[in-house]
Amino acid sequence: MSVTQQSIDVPLMGFVGEVIERLGDVVIDVEQCEPRRGTARVDPAKTMEAAQRMHAMEGCRLATATGIEVRDGIDVLYHWAFEPAGVVITLKVLAARPELALDAVATVVPSANWIERELHDLLGATFPNHPDMRRLLLDDTWPEGLHPLRKSFDQIKDRPPLPPNQSPPDVETKAPGRDRS
Amino acid sequence: MALTTWALRKSLWVYHVNTGACNNCDIEVLALLTPRFDVERLGMILVGSPRHADVLAVTGVCTRQTMPRLQEVYMQTPKPCVVLAVGACANAQGIFTEAYHMGTAVDEAIKAVDPNAIVLYVPGCPPTPEAMIAAAAKGMEFLKTL
Repeated sequence: MSVTQQSIDVPLMGFVGEVIERLGDVVIDVEQCEPRRGTARVDPAKTMEAAQRMHAMEGCRLATATGIEVRDGIDVLYHWAFEPAGVVITLKVLAARPELALDAVATVVPSANWIERELHDLLGATFPNHPDMRRLLLDDTWPEGLHPLRKSFDQIKDRPPLPPNQSPPDVETKAPGRDRS
Repeated sequence: MALTTWALRKSLWVYHVNTGACNNCDIEVLALLTPRFDVERLGMILVGSPRHADVLAVTGVCTRQTMPRLQEVYMQTPKPCVVLAVGACANAQGIFTEAYHMGTAVDEAIKAVDPNAIVLYVPGCPPTPEAMIAAAAKGMEFLKTL
């Protein structure tokens, strides 16, 4: 399914349909509309607006976000849960190649902070206006710009060299912050 | 056999290091301490600091993140110190061998900082408490030879 496709061919029904309708013009495509599950594609330029509108709805929270590498870039899927209704609505946003950049939802919804850092670590989606884009999961010696969950990353061949061993006890450590003398 | 080694054999204190286990081995380590298996009758208790420990019970794969930390914990443990590599993951990385976040196996990580380290392997996924008791008994036997 192309991203630019404007037609909404899935009929909007029930609670999920209402929610997607209330999102208005930020939705460019509806992929799924079932009684307890909805999937819609959101205009990448209007990510923050979509998040604001979802966040303002009663009983709605950001459950998590996931990412998957596709042909045109990285699809970031924000899963919004409506706890009282038992409904999950997924908003898909495409971070297009080559920049793979998206507006950070973390500026609107603080709970998206860590998951967006994780997306940056593992998949390489970038969030230029993210409030705190430090490394979250990978170890300190992992090289910048190498993302282990990309399709092009070979789990064995592309593995970077291991972190250095700690110095044995009889050797005096001169690492910063460890010198107590 | 020196007096300290004789005394050490009677009261092995265990520090439990989880380097990234799925908690299954940890549950078995816990079962080891409960009345059914009761390793306290052999003088083994869990302690809260590696500085008080004689045995490091390492569970889980040694990831890139935990490798330097495990080595640090090992270096803080007074010697002689027995390392129990508990479970398939700690022994040989288990099913995670080909994952991007892997460090080395636990024994390699320990032997990189101390080539003479005493490492005992407890196979199984998860290993039974009996296997851990057998390993502890072997560790006690080994300490006799020091």
